[in-house]
Amino acid sequence: MIFCASTLMQLTLQKLLPIPLRDKITHNSSDIWLQDLSLSKGEHISIQAPSGTGKTTLVHMLYGLRNDYEGTITWDHKALHQIHVEELSKMRATYISIVFQDLRLMPELTAWENLELKRSLTNTISPELMEDMMERLGIRDKKHRLTKTLSYGEQQRVAIIRSLLQPFDWLLMDEPFSHLDHLNIEKATALIAEIAQRNHAGILLADLEKNDYFRYHKRMFL
Amino acid sequence: MAIQQKILQKLLLRKGSQSRLWMAWMTLCIGTTLLLLTVLIWWNFQQLLYGKNDADSLGSSFITISKKVTSENMGRPQLTTFSQADIEELRKTAGVQDIGVLTSNKFPAYIQLSGTLNFATDIFLEAVPDRFIDKKPDSWFWDSSIRQLPIILSGEFLNLYNYGFATSQGLPQLSEATIQTLAFDLVVGNPDRRETYSAHVGGFSDRIASVLVPQSFINYANSRYGSALSAAPSRLIVKIADPSDKSFVDFLEKHNYVTNTENLRWSKLRSVVEVVVAATGVLALLLMSISMLVFTLFIELTIAQAQQSLELLTQIGYAPSFLRKFMTRRFVPLTLGAVLLALFLTFIAQYATSLVVAREQLDLPVIPGIHIWITAALCLLLLYWQIHRGIAKALK
Repeated sequence: MIFCASTLMQLTLQKLLPIPLRDKITHNSSDIWLQDLSLSKGEHISIQAPSGTGKTTLVHMLYGLRNDYEGTITWDHKALHQIHVEELSKMRATYISIVFQDLRLMPELTAWENLELKRSLTNTISPELMEDMMERLGIRDKKHRLTKTLSYGEQQRVAIIRSLLQPFDWLLMDEPFSHLDHLNIEKATALIAEIAQRNHAGILLADLEKNDYFRYHKRMFL
Repeated sequence: MAIQQKILQKLLLRKGSQSRLWMAWMTLCIGTTLLLLTVLIWWNFQQLLYGKNDADSLGSSFITISKKVTSENMGRPQLTTFSQADIEELRKTAGVQDIGVLTSNKFPAYIQLSGTLNFATDIFLEAVPDRFIDKKPDSWFWDSSIRQLPIILSGEFLNLYNYGFATSQGLPQLSEATIQTLAFDLVVGNPDRRETYSAHVGGFSDRIASVLVPQSFINYANSRYGSALSAAPSRLIVKIADPSDKSFVDFLEKHNYVTNTENLRWSKLRSVVEVVVAATGVLALLLMSISMLVFTLFIELTIAQAQQSLELLTQIGYAPSFLRKFMTRRFVPLTLGAVLLALFLTFIAQYATSLVVAREQLDLPVIPGIHIWITAALCLLLLYWQIHRGIAKALK
């Protein structure tokens, strides 16, 4: 195993520049693009990014979904673009979790099936705990509904729970609460913080606005 | 794990395509079966053509040849027998696979039926190496300690008796089985030195028009009671690939040899079978290619339908290798089943064929040979490769 639990999953960015945004980005216009920075496991990081600055692009780049960038992303001293797909899938199953902006749930499966698909992958969270999470976010009674029939807010909560059903050192979130009311955001952040704490994990949340969902160690502008 | 498999199945393998799956599978079965059957036909044909056994086969016929008795050589036995040089020359002729010498008795012999039917007649006896005998009876063996002597009679003799002699003389017709139950006394030797054996007809031959006894008996009796008559054979039995071959016929004519053959039929049949096998082969290959295409397209369709789900699954941490295995497991049993079914049908076909040709006195193995196995294995490999390629492409 390359990413063993004892090493701190450190995230290093070096002179990162997404090729599609090359013309828009200049030196010193961003805390992240074209900068050198290092983020340690356990840190809570907020990235504030107005529309069009490449927020989702950044999250996808960090998660290894796209390679159209200059510079280097290093997870635990290993350049992301050099990591083999099989290793990458192992990384995604055990070290880095994500809440996509567009959720990326399976619409033809029920909420429960979507969650079970993720839970059974590593089987590190008990089915009871999963049920408990659904209860806490108020979607337990919807568990046998097809995901595509749920409201966007409900789907968002399914996606959040899904991201917590695995061990992780880092949790990447891309506008995770955009369709949730204050009360549900509170419940969700409490759950996320609790599970992240248990994993000693870092949180990286990208959003359009300045927010106080978590107690951030670092706030950055994209 | 079971639940996970069920969810993956629901996600990746849609129910709607079930009927299409079976159609594709049936096409594959038919294609594979036809291909295997073609190989089977070809293989059986090879067996009949070049098989190494006693039976008549498509590839060779047995004919007896002798020198023509003419006004010039009448009464001069040395001119109607085959010298060693004659035999060697014949052996070198194209198409000749084997030559056997018919050894005749050089001693007086007669048979008598003792009991109520008081009947006796002088006879001649001949012997031929066992490999030239078409229907060897189980009792076909003799050594000097045995008083029983098996005889093979030409089927023609029985026909002459039953349809010519018996009907004209008002005698009873005799079946093969009846004759085989009769025991004759065979008396050999001169009046001053003679021996009696208990002889019985063990079988009937369509190949050699003669009264055959085991070679060992002729050798024994010839040396014991034989006169000093020439030991050169007057008839030869020849195993030949194609008796209708022009050069062979010319050879016979040139040497004034005569033969019993009307063997053109084999060679005609052969060219017909050759054309049929070739045509079936082309057709089967075509069908196999089409059925493989249908099946592969079906696989690709299934994978294409699941493409988006597969991508999503890799994004939430499912390893491509795991998904590849999952998809492969879906199709591999299907291809294995199709090939096994085709093999099974081929086995049945071979078994049935061997039974049918056995009635025609042709000998074919009951179980198909190595070629069928190799073809089936190749089909399977090709299908595996297609599946693997399709899935790998989708997961790239």
